[in-house]
Amino acid sequence: MAALPRRIIKETQRLMQEPVPGISAVPDDTNARYFHVIVTGPEDSPFEGGLFKLELFLPEDYPMSAPKVRFITKIYHPNIDRLGRICLDILKDKWSPALQIRTVLLSIQALLSAPNPDDPLANDVAELWKVNESEAIRNAKEWTRRYAMDN
Amino acid sequence: MSFWFNLVKDVFLRMLQLLSFSRRKISNSLSIYIKTNTGSTLSVELDPKWDIKNLKEIVAPQMGIAPEDIKIIFAGKELHNSIIIEECDLGQQSILHAVRTPHKIVNKTRNTDLIEESISETSDLNDSSGSKPMNETLMDLSLDESNLENLSLKEQQENRAHFYVYCSAPCKNVTAGKLRVKCARCGSGAVTVDRDPQCWPDVLQPRRITVNCESDFCPVTSSMHKDETESQVSYAHFYFKCAKHPSLGENDEAVPLYLVKPNLRNIPCLACTDIRETVLVFPCEAGHVTCLDCFREYCTVRLHERRFEFDEEYYTLPCPAGCPNSYIREVHHFHLLGVEQYERYQRFSTEEHVLRAGGILCPRPDCGMGIIPPSIEDDRECRRIQCIGGCGYVFCRICLQGYHVGECESQMSDASTSVFSSNYYSVDPLKANQATWDEASKKTIQTSTKPCPKCRTPTERDGGCMHMVCTRAGCGYHWCWVCQTEWTRDCMGNHWFG
Ligand SMILES: [Zn+2]
Ligand SMILES: [Zn+2]
Ligand SMILES: [Zn+2]
Ligand SMILES: [Zn+2]
Ligand SMILES: [Zn+2]
Ligand SMILES: [Zn+2]
Ligand SMILES: [Zn+2]
Ligand SMILES: [Zn+2]
Repeated sequence: MAALPRRIIKETQRLMQEPVPGISAVPDDTNARYFHVIVTGPEDSPFEGGLFKLELFLPEDYPMSAPKVRFITKIYHPNIDRLGRICLDILKDKWSPALQIRTVLLSIQALLSAPNPDDPLANDVAELWKVNESEAIRNAKEWTRRYAMDN
Repeated sequence: MSFWFNLVKDVFLRMLQLLSFSRRKISNSLSIYIKTNTGSTLSVELDPKWDIKNLKEIVAPQMGIAPEDIKIIFAGKELHNSIIIEECDLGQQSILHAVRTPHKIVNKTRNTDLIEESISETSDLNDSSGSKPMNETLMDLSLDESNLENLSLKEQQENRAHFYVYCSAPCKNVTAGKLRVKCARCGSGAVTVDRDPQCWPDVLQPRRITVNCESDFCPVTSSMHKDETESQVSYAHFYFKCAKHPSLGENDEAVPLYLVKPNLRNIPCLACTDIRETVLVFPCEAGHVTCLDCFREYCTVRLHERRFEFDEEYYTLPCPAGCPNSYIREVHHFHLLGVEQYERYQRFSTEEHVLRAGGILCPRPDCGMGIIPPSIEDDRECRRIQCIGGCGYVFCRICLQGYHVGECESQMSDASTSVFSSNYYSVDPLKANQATWDEASKKTIQTSTKPCPKCRTPTERDGGCMHMVCTRAGCGYHWCWVCQTEWTRDCMGNHWFG
């Protein structure tokens, strides 16, 4: 197996030494490109109190290609689909090798604080979020309680 | 009387030179050419430890003049007598220029007071004239004029210009380069620059630095009119040579890769964060830096995804941080990718240019040659296209099958009509006259598919989303079903789902 690029080593070290508040990202014991991520639901959001598991994978050509990130914990969010895929521009066309794992995690946290139903991935969720926001928020809270709190 | 004296002195000097020449043992010889301003070329073996004065002594007898009447010019500079040859960055088979001084000065000077002055000056041993070679004085060039810096002497030492070039032959590689200059008017290398270039525009753009051309054949010097008019001024034409191979003559030039620089300020690579010796500096305002390995990887990934972009006519890439106005305009920089990837780059570039110009790609597998067919309005009967310059395949423009007489065969062919030439399709009277149910089927195609704005391949709309990705292998263009232009954040915000 190819040696781990120095950039990944440096980023990992920094994530360990100065973790992003509310986020833990730990590399897998067997694969240093695979991170187990836990994001705490931001205060004053329907996800408050929840602990959301994600997986983050650095592809072979990272940092030329964006990290692959996915929610493992089910979440009711207009920008996250049923498979946990995240609709976030910096994970797609707006990715730049100048960005880092840290930036990605911060952006995901921000997305939980401010869902954007105009930029949806989960179509039906987005629809509800637009026409009946309070019901959508109730659903999100319910899902958070059901899937993100008992572990 | 003085004539005889001079003659005797001359003969004496020549004998002396021959003696001293034969005494010298050449330890590590450098073979170079000396071009004189009278048009002859001498081949000389030099010891790199010699100085310019020694060189003049060798050349003088062959030119039939005294050594002190000779000016040695190299890379835009008259070389001072005390310069050691190895300081001049001469490669094997380099060309030096030897010019007769007193004769030239009389001819060239426009001011009579100056004539006497220069004659009297050249009659003593002339040690004050000349300067250091260009490679000793030239500073690292800034990308544009706006950020010329005042550097301390120490910084200047470290800031010596290093050039990287692409040597297309024989090295076929990115190598160190050397800056050279010639007269833009007559092409002679016997020129001295009026100032050193300071930024890349000085080097790359014409008519920025004037030169004094010493060639007898230059229209400027040989002209009888000595008025300082615009037409009397000669400009420098800078060019580059590969430092890795012996010069193959005056036309042996290499392309400068001016974004590649020594990493004097120890800036970490944008991608891998390592601090490397040589970097590529993107032409964005921030001047983002990547190491050459990361540059290669960045380009290779983007090339693989066919995500190079057009910046005017350049098929290229911007700064990886996505900065505005950061496209690489000297596409020879992609030679850094190596022969194989550069060939791929060229192929893609050609194909994309052809498609952009409304052309088609040869349908034969493994060919894909870009062909620009004659406009159908000009020649509406002509459906016969030959892959000229490619595989030679002769095919039907409409169905892209082998060329045939008469109507194209299957219903499928109608679909592929719009696939590859929908722009011709609508104006083709043959097609317009077809049976009505063909019209109908065309309509269904029209409503469920739209052509990719980039390559015109019809793409079926999938899953209600307005974000389209072209299905043509190698296009993959992201576009908006509503706007029929590139997919943008605005599209995402305004009408992602209609
Ligand atoms: Zn070469
Ligand atoms: Zn000239
Ligand atoms: Zn790098
Ligand atoms: Zn930039
Ligand atoms: Zn062909
Ligand atoms: Zn046909
Ligand atoms: Zn396309
Ligand atoms: Zn749009």
